[in-house]
Amino acid sequence: MALPCLDSQENIIDWQALSLSLQLAAVTLALLLPPGMLLARWLAYTEFKGKYLIEALVVLPLVLPPTVLGYYLLVSFGAASPLGQWLSQQGIQLAFHFSGLVVASVLFNIPFLVQPIQRAFEAIPANLGEAAAVSGLNAWRIFWRIELPLAWPGVLSAMVLTFVHTLGEFGVVLMMGGSIPGETRTLAISIYDRVQAFDFESADRMALLLLLFSLLAVAASFFATARLGRRR
Amino acid sequence: MNTPQTLDLQVDISQTNPMPLRGSFSCAPGQMLALVGPSGAGKTSMLRVLAGLLQPENAKVSVGSHTWCDTAQGLHIPPQQRRVGLVFQNYALMPHMNAVDNVALAILHLPSAQRLQKARDWLQRMGLTPEQQQRLPALLSGGQQQRVALARALARQPRLLLMDEPFSAVDQMSRRSLYGLIADLRRDLHIPIVLVTHDLNEARQLADKLVVMDAGEVLQEGTPAHIYRSPRNARVADLVGIPNRFHGRWLGSRGPHALPEGFAWLEWLPHAEAKSGLALVVKDKGRLKTWGQPVTWVIQGDGFHVNPSLTDDATTDNQRLVLHVHVSALRSLGEISLASLTLAEPAGTQLQLTLSGTQRQNVQTGQQLTVSMDCRWIHVMPVRR
Repeated sequence: MALPCLDSQENIIDWQALSLSLQLAAVTLALLLPPGMLLARWLAYTEFKGKYLIEALVVLPLVLPPTVLGYYLLVSFGAASPLGQWLSQQGIQLAFHFSGLVVASVLFNIPFLVQPIQRAFEAIPANLGEAAAVSGLNAWRIFWRIELPLAWPGVLSAMVLTFVHTLGEFGVVLMMGGSIPGETRTLAISIYDRVQAFDFESADRMALLLLLFSLLAVAASFFATARLGRRR
Repeated sequence: MNTPQTLDLQVDISQTNPMPLRGSFSCAPGQMLALVGPSGAGKTSMLRVLAGLLQPENAKVSVGSHTWCDTAQGLHIPPQQRRVGLVFQNYALMPHMNAVDNVALAILHLPSAQRLQKARDWLQRMGLTPEQQQRLPALLSGGQQQRVALARALARQPRLLLMDEPFSAVDQMSRRSLYGLIADLRRDLHIPIVLVTHDLNEARQLADKLVVMDAGEVLQEGTPAHIYRSPRNARVADLVGIPNRFHGRWLGSRGPHALPEGFAWLEWLPHAEAKSGLALVVKDKGRLKTWGQPVTWVIQGDGFHVNPSLTDDATTDNQRLVLHVHVSALRSLGEISLASLTLAEPAGTQLQLTLSGTQRQNVQTGQQLTVSMDCRWIHVMPVRR
């Protein structure tokens, strides 16, 4: 494991790692939300043969050890693989780069984003969309004025879940990115490094920070969801 | 509404998949048509075809000069462009919008201020107070939600109004006031109105026209009076709940004696397998040809007169028959009573009559009565295999 950097030894909290984690969470959420929402809505409203297979694929990252997913990503994007070689010819380096963490996080967070949104869309009574269509609303307007407001509690909790989950991601990040300061060393990795270096004071603070932030975010999303739910 | 053309609804449909749906009917502006039939008869599917929510296999649907669906031409106008008002069975109001916004949703093409004003006007017309208009649907009663749904359906100035079991979820009191509201609307709107209901009393009370459906098929279309007097077949008689339905055998002209033109003999059998029964003289509409053909026949309550003072020898002609009955049960239904009468001949046959006023005060269970039956009210149907 990489040794703790000398310059960050003075800081109890690795602010660079925190900033990187926040960036990773934000970029992951921004990239995953639009396609994830489409996928969730499609799964909620469409019945077809083999749907269970797609749904299983969506849930897979949830049940797979992060190291397994990380391993496959590393193997497929690494310099030795045809895909990795092709990407590096295009000037794209994924393994041990921030961009690689983003790809890994996006894939790893699919179930956390898609599942709650899918449930939220499924909970909307089908005849509301029909009533809107008969009232003259086209599909786009039905989405914005009816479906999205009604599914919003689910969308909100999916967004919070994805963000917080990315902040605390460890295994898949470690496999894909290692621990390069300012590039791939996220807060969770940094905590691990400090523990390895017996710097428990620092690990303690950062762990507490992550714990409180996660708790706050999830509690806030639950509070908002309950309030939205009461309005109905 | 300012164009002088006819604005009739015309429907002709035939499909087998995904569910069978077959038949044709029409409805004139200002007319209220009730689609009746048991659950699963295809009433709601028919309504969805009219609204454009269901694309039929083979159908033609038009309102006046507007053709909404013509599968032969590959034409299917989406619900958004049909200008159809649909009131859903459970109202389908948007739970996150108050009553005004729910109604305004149907007129999004108007500028915002005008839209809200129009929505408020409609809700007021439906009898909602300004305070109720600001409430979310969950905070309104069933009857009030129904009025919001109706306002939303009408705000678009539809060419056709469709209502799916509109009164099934509201209590009796709101139901009665909704009946009044709909009667007023019908007079003012001058568009065809199609109502789905399984409540036959409601259908009879509200509708000018009934369309009886069963297993996806339109069995009969006509005024309630016509359908109750002359159901097309035994199934229709069953579905609309005609109580006095009997077995018979068609004798044509081969009865006890010769009959004038336009009359025929009908043998009243106590049950389908009976060898012999009572010969009746009925009108011959020329529909039945085969001698001895098994038939089902019905007679409306209008054909009976309970007359305890009448005696045997009052039988005047073949068209008026005097029956000796025994009152086997008497059930009070508020204003009226339902009497079950057992006939002496054909033995064991049961007759159901509704009695009201002084008539019912003179009748008691266990009593012997004479009832005269006017055979001109008899309607004979072939037995369907």
